[in-house]
Amino acid sequence: MRLIYFLAPRLLIAAITMFGVALLVFLSLRLIPGGYADIVLGPFATGAARDLLIQRYGLDEPIFVQFGKWLWALLQGDFGNSMVTNKPVIDEFLRRAPVTGELAILTLLLALAIGLPLGVWSGLAEGGAGGKGRLGRLVGALGASVPDFVIGSAFIFIFSKWSLGLKVGGFVPLDQGLWDNLKTMILPTVSLSVFAIALFLRTTRDAVLRVMTDGHILAAVARGQRPRDIVRHHVLRNAAIPVVTVTATYFGFLLGGAVIAEVLFSIPGVGYYIFSSLEERDYAVVQAGVLLAAFVFVSLNMVADFAYALIDPRIGAARSGT
Amino acid sequence: MRALWKSGGRRLALVAAAVGGVAVGGAGMAQAENVIAWGKAADVTSMDVNIAGTVASWTMYQMIYETLLTTDKDMNLQPGLAVSWEQTSPTGYVLKLRENAKWSNGRPVTAGDVIGSLQRISGEELNPEGVAAATTDEAKQKASLKISSYWGRQFGVIKSMTAPDDHTVVVELEKPHTAFLTALAHISAAIVPIKELKDGTFDPNSEMLGSGPFMVAEHLPKESWTLVRNPHYWRDGYPKADRIDVPIIPDEAARVAALRDGRVDYAIFSNPDIARLVADDPNIVVEAQKTTNYFRVDINALSDKSAFKDKRIRQAFNLAIDRNAIANIVFAGATVPDQPVPVAFGKDACGTTDTYALPREERLKKARELVTATGEDEVETTIIAPASDPVYARIAQVIQQNARDVGIEVEILQMPTAEYLQKVFTDGDFDASISWLAGYSDPSMVIAWWNPKFAVWNTVFHEYVPELADALGELKSTPAGGERDAKLTEVCGMIDDGANILALVSKVDFILHRKDKIDIRVDPVSGSSNTFQYAAEYTSKD
Amino acid sequence: MIALASARLGRFFRRDSLGLLGAVLLLVLLILGIFGDLLPLGDPNAIGAGPRLGAPSLAFPLGTDDLGRSYLPRVVEGIGVTFLLSAIAVIITAVIGTLLGMAAGYLHGATDHLIARIADILFAFPALLFGLLAAAVIGPGSIAAIVVISTATIPLFIRVVRSVTLSVAEREFVVAAVVSGASTWRVMLVHLLPNILGAAIIQLTYALSVSMIIESALSFLGLGVQPPAASLGSLLRLGSVYLTIAPWLVLAPGLVLAAAIMSINLLGDAIRDALDPLRGRSLK
Repeated sequence: MRLIYFLAPRLLIAAITMFGVALLVFLSLRLIPGGYADIVLGPFATGAARDLLIQRYGLDEPIFVQFGKWLWALLQGDFGNSMVTNKPVIDEFLRRAPVTGELAILTLLLALAIGLPLGVWSGLAEGGAGGKGRLGRLVGALGASVPDFVIGSAFIFIFSKWSLGLKVGGFVPLDQGLWDNLKTMILPTVSLSVFAIALFLRTTRDAVLRVMTDGHILAAVARGQRPRDIVRHHVLRNAAIPVVTVTATYFGFLLGGAVIAEVLFSIPGVGYYIFSSLEERDYAVVQAGVLLAAFVFVSLNMVADFAYALIDPRIGAARSGT
Repeated sequence: MRALWKSGGRRLALVAAAVGGVAVGGAGMAQAENVIAWGKAADVTSMDVNIAGTVASWTMYQMIYETLLTTDKDMNLQPGLAVSWEQTSPTGYVLKLRENAKWSNGRPVTAGDVIGSLQRISGEELNPEGVAAATTDEAKQKASLKISSYWGRQFGVIKSMTAPDDHTVVVELEKPHTAFLTALAHISAAIVPIKELKDGTFDPNSEMLGSGPFMVAEHLPKESWTLVRNPHYWRDGYPKADRIDVPIIPDEAARVAALRDGRVDYAIFSNPDIARLVADDPNIVVEAQKTTNYFRVDINALSDKSAFKDKRIRQAFNLAIDRNAIANIVFAGATVPDQPVPVAFGKDACGTTDTYALPREERLKKARELVTATGEDEVETTIIAPASDPVYARIAQVIQQNARDVGIEVEILQMPTAEYLQKVFTDGDFDASISWLAGYSDPSMVIAWWNPKFAVWNTVFHEYVPELADALGELKSTPAGGERDAKLTEVCGMIDDGANILALVSKVDFILHRKDKIDIRVDPVSGSSNTFQYAAEYTSKD
Repeated sequence: MIALASARLGRFFRRDSLGLLGAVLLLVLLILGIFGDLLPLGDPNAIGAGPRLGAPSLAFPLGTDDLGRSYLPRVVEGIGVTFLLSAIAVIITAVIGTLLGMAAGYLHGATDHLIARIADILFAFPALLFGLLAAAVIGPGSIAAIVVISTATIPLFIRVVRSVTLSVAEREFVVAAVVSGASTWRVMLVHLLPNILGAAIIQLTYALSVSMIIESALSFLGLGVQPPAASLGSLLRLGSVYLTIAPWLVLAPGLVLAAAIMSINLLGDAIRDALDPLRGRSLK
């Protein structure tokens, strides 16, 4: 019963959000200049040729009729066909989603593995003697200041010029050997992680600093509890909430496609697929891609809400509605 | 049968990919398969060979489909699916088809396929009965086999086609059209399997079924292609490669990296500095392939919003452009200034016009006089540089600096390709735009672009000049030779006067390959964006 | 409030050398960006002024780019352009984000729901794609870049301001003002705004550093400023192509961009520590 109270409003909100995203992507795609007919026929097409193609894809119908048809098909699980290959786009997304998922998870794991402890350490060290806290700040500030494509380009050059064991591009799917797969995933993961490490470091450091000034921590100090226990029982538990938020947000961002990393390292994820389909005005792909990314994002947020409720039941209740 | 091949091909691909690492490492594992790898910059934009007007599509189609004729490095016609061709009258042609040519499903290529394909490209309905029988609009659309090909007009107007036997096609045109045969040599005029198309076993929107050296085993959109040998290919012992792996690698640096680490054996680049970028790798060979294609500027002579409506401003703009600077600065000296009649044909047809004959100082003087004569103090224009290739923006920046010398301010607008296409060719809502033009394999083909009644896509921005249109019409029916060359020069004068489409510099493609891993053959000059036309001869050295 | 904050800030800089470093670095870059074109560095747009891809020399201290332009004035121009674009975008974000966040947090009910849903939709829409779509609708160029950056940073801004507003709105002085009959506008502008300003400023410095990263990502995808104008992102994009033969083309804008973002982050941290009411004390 409590689960229903927890879920029902969230599901409603999620449905509204998804509808909004669907409407937005559909309308904006129709608003942008140029269409698939322009792209595929190239410059040297007659108006009649373009019209024929537009008609074939039903793009001559009123926009809300098109939207209605698309939505109706969606509800029946039909995401439409790509105009380029005339094949269902959902198949392509199902094939690519695990790759994007893997890249996102690896990036997140690496970033959390480094960013979290550094952030906690930096937060705890802040205000203490010496400049230990500053190192954390400096790392955080530095990591967030280099665009991933610069790091990626440097990796590509270094690792293609000298054979150092890792591969630039030449993606190998996971089911063809874990190590072979990892060899192609390490570099993109690392180039994406640099920013993410800084992000988690800063978030954690900040959360720790905030929690440390809370009354119950001061009380615990006053009680004379051991610092290690204070950190474990009070600080980390309470600092976890903003970290969970940022993790969910950033994970959603990665799932929406790390286009640049995919392009640089030839990773067949969803990002480049959506991006280049937008360039080609292959509407069904962009629509499905945006919708699926939004769906994952919304779901993740719901999972994060669950996590809040588990960490601190009060917050779980307070956060509903945002 | 084909479905079976497909799944077989996929398994093959997986197995091969698994052992690919070994082969790449050069460990010399005994392997019967001859596998080569081509790093492709972009995927196709359509599966239909007769529809897509994009080079990225053409280069893939060329592996799978064949044309009736082909061209060699001197732009001479060579046999393709047709072994001989004969012009029997100014409007009549007889083509003899290769007897042993077969589709990759084993069915022989017949005259019916050829006639149907040419009708298809010309925009005829191949299933009139089906469409007539359908009752609803939706059913009619479903039954229809009519397509919209941009290439149909290149044939002139076909009056009739007949097949005296299964391997002979007789074509009769409405009126003489010199470039008819060369138009057949472009991949957009590829012959498709009409029988399978009509009986519904071949869906041109989602698959490819050709008579060329390779067939598709697997296509992962925007990721990779796996091509395997067509077992029914007519040429004995070819293709030499059993398989071509084609990863799609859009990023230039990533493509270079793939060549360096041996993941791909060959790839095309447009960056003129590519030779310097790979100079440190002794295994990578760089070949520059000249083309009859050239970079061009389209100018809007019709819009009231465009300062270029005034012919004098167009002429001044044209005179101001420093083509040598574009060749030397943007292209690092790897190309040469080009003319409306491509210099790659070995002609200097437009060399006598002011644009090419006068030194820059005199051109600038003339241009300033032209601008002054208009009475305008400040001429403000914009130029579109499509975002698809950074080279357009580089050219635009040189032009911007050149134009300033004669008092024309140019603002650069970099925009996505789709938007550029709509603005320029559909809406005519622009001042000037940069692109490149395929010169094809006969001088009379590209020059027709200056006649908006023929090149209808230019209608929205190109001024219609009756004398020029007439001269271009005559050119089409004039056989190659001295008389035609004189006409070309005459036309050049009119083109220069109109300054509506400006030729800039020749387009050069750079083909890189690993000499330790592959034997490859590329013509020094290409006329139909047919860079890898000898792919059947490519073979792995592993 | 402001005076108090600046006094705190002054105190902080004395204690916080990293914050000071950030402030000084930022100031230098800002001055370079704003007054750079007054310096005798040469024309950033003169094509063919030197050899193509020339190494740094006396005549061209940072070398030349692919069109033979002196790179130093281009980098300096890039600083100005990047700062300007990011600043405009972030100011838009701050104004819209503060207003909507405050309205959502204070007005409750339908307004809150409406704004929250808009923020949800923007949040759920993959940011980069939303930006690309927006840019395609408006047409490319600086305006599109600003719109992309703003839409990418607004949702988080709304959420942060909303949550701060929620907690401030419960404070005694706000309740008292409401009871004494102050209009909604008055409560929001006079009582709420000054108290959420601190949180907004902190969020603003984050948004500013993120916006510079977004700007360079846009340049990578060919959607940044229009040539010949240079931004640090567009310079980096170009430079990364020539990384192997002309590394200075990446190094110069890369270091400057890193310095810019780092200085903003360091300064942001310092401001946060100075303004955040919860962070005055720390555990000893």
